[in-house]
Amino acid sequence: MTRNKRFLALAVLGVTALAVQAQSPKPEDQIKLRKAAYDMMGYSFGGINAMAEGKRPYDKEEAARLADLLVQVSMVPRHFFGEGTDKGETRAKPEIWTHRADFDAKMDKMVSEAAKLPAVARTGDEAALKRQAKAVGEACGSCHDDFRVKR
Amino acid sequence: MRILPRRLPGEALSGHATRSGWDFPTRFFHWTLAALVTFSFVTGKVGESWLVWHMKSGYAIIALLLFRLAWGLVGSPEARFASFVRRPAAALAYVRSLSAGKRELPPGHNPLGGWSVVAMLACLALQVGTGLFSNDESSHEGPLAAKVSDAMVDRMTSIHGWNQYAILTLVVLHVAAISFYQWRLRLDVLGPMVHGSTSKRDSIVAAVLAALAVCATYWLVVVYPR
Repeated sequence: MTRNKRFLALAVLGVTALAVQAQSPKPEDQIKLRKAAYDMMGYSFGGINAMAEGKRPYDKEEAARLADLLVQVSMVPRHFFGEGTDKGETRAKPEIWTHRADFDAKMDKMVSEAAKLPAVARTGDEAALKRQAKAVGEACGSCHDDFRVKR
Repeated sequence: MRILPRRLPGEALSGHATRSGWDFPTRFFHWTLAALVTFSFVTGKVGESWLVWHMKSGYAIIALLLFRLAWGLVGSPEARFASFVRRPAAALAYVRSLSAGKRELPPGHNPLGGWSVVAMLACLALQVGTGLFSNDESSHEGPLAAKVSDAMVDRMTSIHGWNQYAILTLVVLHVAAISFYQWRLRLDVLGPMVHGSTSKRDSIVAAVLAALAVCATYWLVVVYPR
């Protein structure tokens, strides 16, 4: 995908997300949407991580495809932690709303680390992919540690 | 032939020459397990970035438990399950004799302590077993989690979560009981877990079993999941 096309895709997604937020779905729908996004992140990052850990054979094309998908879905959840979404079928901790700046900073960190993955994946440098996957995993984890209820 | 013990810990404190120390394989198992269980507990708590180590520690515990299981079947006389797993009535009688003021250490595990060993081994086996199928719903999952349904993974993860408190309870009980023997009854139970003698036969059998346990674990967590 060319840079322009990717930019366009991101812009469309961003505008869609904003539009969706402006309409402000019901809290229970917001919870569903962010969960779906996390599932997609789990799928895309999980595949890359499995390659990084040697559990799945390394495949440059597949890594790049998953990385692109991860970048897109990583930007979705932040729009769906609106008012009233702390209650219901969720493991989001109330601290998200009481420590919003910290939560947003961790979300930013995750999004920016994920954004580096496609380029790294396209170099075909397996060691570099491993390093970047680790950085993304740590960014995910630091937020889960503070803001997700343990099972 | 059993080599003479370096010292008789029971004698030093209680005046009864009751036993020599535990054999080396049992002592090694005990202290390594204690260290790894502590390490696992901590790395399971402090955050996701430690889960890699939490998992490795769990694999080492699997190897230790496999070894102990085998050691309980063909190991030194005092380490064998057949020698220390007694009827509940025997455990009860032992407690009565203790409260009646009898102060001596039977060789090996006492009839109540034997059940404590069984309970700890069973809970730890449940913990490492469920750990193999658990995940943290992000970047870590046990090596067998991919082999079963998500519903099963959730169930395993939740058992893995609450069973830690069963283990914690047993460990606290264990430490309390050891302290009670050591400092209230003044029977030396720590010494025999530090010093002891091992027959040549036991050393050889233990080395073979340890190698087998490591291989079996490697197969279970690395080869089989591929």
